[in-house]
Amino acid sequence: MKDLSRWGYFLFILFILVAPLGMDPRWMAIGTTFLVFSVVALSEDIVLGKGGMFNMGHAMFFGLGAYTTAILNVEFGMPVLYTLPLAILIPAFFGIILAGPIVHLRGDYLLVTTIGFNIVFVQAVQNNLFDLTGGPNGIFGIDVPRVFGFAFMSQTSIYYLALGVLLLTLFIMRNLENSKAGRALHYLREDHIAAQSIGINARLYRVFAFSLGAGIAGLAGAVYAIQFSAVSPEGFDFIQSVLFFSIVIVGGSSIPGVLLGVFVMFVLPEIFREFATWRYFVFGIAMILTMILRPRGIWPAKFGRIPDYIKG
Amino acid sequence: MDTFLQQLVNGLTIGSMFALVALGYTMVFGVMKLINFAHGDLVAMAAFIGLTIYTQVLGQANTLFSVLVIFALTTLIIAFAGVLLERIAYRPLRRAPRLSAVVSALGASLVIQNGIMLIWGPRMKIFPESLIPSVTWNLGGVVVSFLQVVILGLSCFLMVALYLYVEKTRAGAAIRASSINQDAAKLMGINVNRIITTIFIIGSALGAVGGLFIALYYRGITFNMGWNYGLYAFVAAIIGGIGNIPGAMVGGMLLGLFNAFIAGYVSSTWADAFTFIMLIIILIFRPTGILGERVAEKV
Repeated sequence: MKDLSRWGYFLFILFILVAPLGMDPRWMAIGTTFLVFSVVALSEDIVLGKGGMFNMGHAMFFGLGAYTTAILNVEFGMPVLYTLPLAILIPAFFGIILAGPIVHLRGDYLLVTTIGFNIVFVQAVQNNLFDLTGGPNGIFGIDVPRVFGFAFMSQTSIYYLALGVLLLTLFIMRNLENSKAGRALHYLREDHIAAQSIGINARLYRVFAFSLGAGIAGLAGAVYAIQFSAVSPEGFDFIQSVLFFSIVIVGGSSIPGVLLGVFVMFVLPEIFREFATWRYFVFGIAMILTMILRPRGIWPAKFGRIPDYIKG
Repeated sequence: MDTFLQQLVNGLTIGSMFALVALGYTMVFGVMKLINFAHGDLVAMAAFIGLTIYTQVLGQANTLFSVLVIFALTTLIIAFAGVLLERIAYRPLRRAPRLSAVVSALGASLVIQNGIMLIWGPRMKIFPESLIPSVTWNLGGVVVSFLQVVILGLSCFLMVALYLYVEKTRAGAAIRASSINQDAAKLMGINVNRIITTIFIIGSALGAVGGLFIALYYRGITFNMGWNYGLYAFVAAIIGGIGNIPGAMVGGMLLGLFNAFIAGYVSSTWADAFTFIMLIIILIFRPTGILGERVAEKV
């Protein structure tokens, strides 16, 4: 089983590495979209699936990263490459200060609070806060990153940039699972009272998960801004947060499940344009059916190597 | 002073609509511990069904009779839709993990919202103006319309009736018992399934009335308006302490007033942001709402 999943990952990564060879620009753009949204969905999985916190405002962190890159590049003329660390740090910082006071809230209250963050963010951006965010139209004309004279101009290079970010995210998630923080989060999610009673600092690890998820989503946002060389408020609306939330739960909070969810929710509608008006209607039915038939998701995650005699 | 009184009247009107919708959320949460995300979309559907009855069945007649027919038929249809929603999307998940039910509710919401779009189209529809006589009175600088009086009066009547039903009748006692402890209520011989059906009938019917009021008051109706008004109503339910029926009424009124004063004194483009900042502050300091009791979480 372990070998099977290792081969699965190997083939998947090999496939997305060589896939651009046979793609025209339209498919390349769709592929990049898949990679970027996969990163955001996986980072939501860190907060929601691994951390067990009902976060329905994740599009805000995605947007914070995108707007960080856009504002610093377009308004202040900073090279895009240098904005990338800030596109991670600023959302991560917001993750800490916003999550700090609320991570103790019960599930549904946390959910509503994060919806609130998302709505405040979108309205602030739409109202052109500090004359920086460009109002409802957003910001245009974002440059591409330039490293040692190489510019990420072509669709292909941006695809590989997004792919690099996805591989980095997968690496972080694998390490998280095998780390002290990952085990602490797992315990907190399963039984937070028992976990706290043996001395796990619930607030610390939850805020950590929030800021890690926020930072990764922010980086994805920066890549998104580079890909379209524009950002606008609709891209980070509350509905997007709902989709990321649903993808993680429907997928079962496992990496293959989440990637499958992103493929179905964001890639299929791009391929079947004529299906666009029916999109959410069909998704809604699919969400209800999946939850009824497989309440733990399509591809439920397993944590670590739990010995058989404990599983019972 | 005039602005203050005017916004007070507007705020109470908006607030009573929020309260009617909030009752649906709070009653469902009380018994099932589930955020019924699809409730707001049923509210939006009520507005569209009301419009269709007006144009297709009644031939656009502006009489008291057509008002009564619209309200009665729409309420019936939405109550039935609410029961159907519970049967299809929530009942199979009663023993499933919490998050599965949340996602199912989100799915139901998307289905209803986009069902409305597929049937009535994506563009804004305008609700008839002359259905309720557009009489206004000027009381010393404060303008009060007949519609506002109707909305306030009828909402108060419905809320008092619901309050009496929940607090003074046997069926109401069963509802309260089921929301305190479902298993104990079952052991006392209460048919919890029937209680849940009752709650969906009452909640959806009140939401339908709220939806028709929203349509009459704002007149422009869109397929996705359920999320906006639903979210506001849900905030109202939380302010009042979710699960608490009188709390939802007070929370709705408070939220309506807050909104009207923000629109009157600050700016309506920031109304959403202010509302949610207030909500977040309330949740940080009083997580069970203003009227909610402090309860220790069960282990």
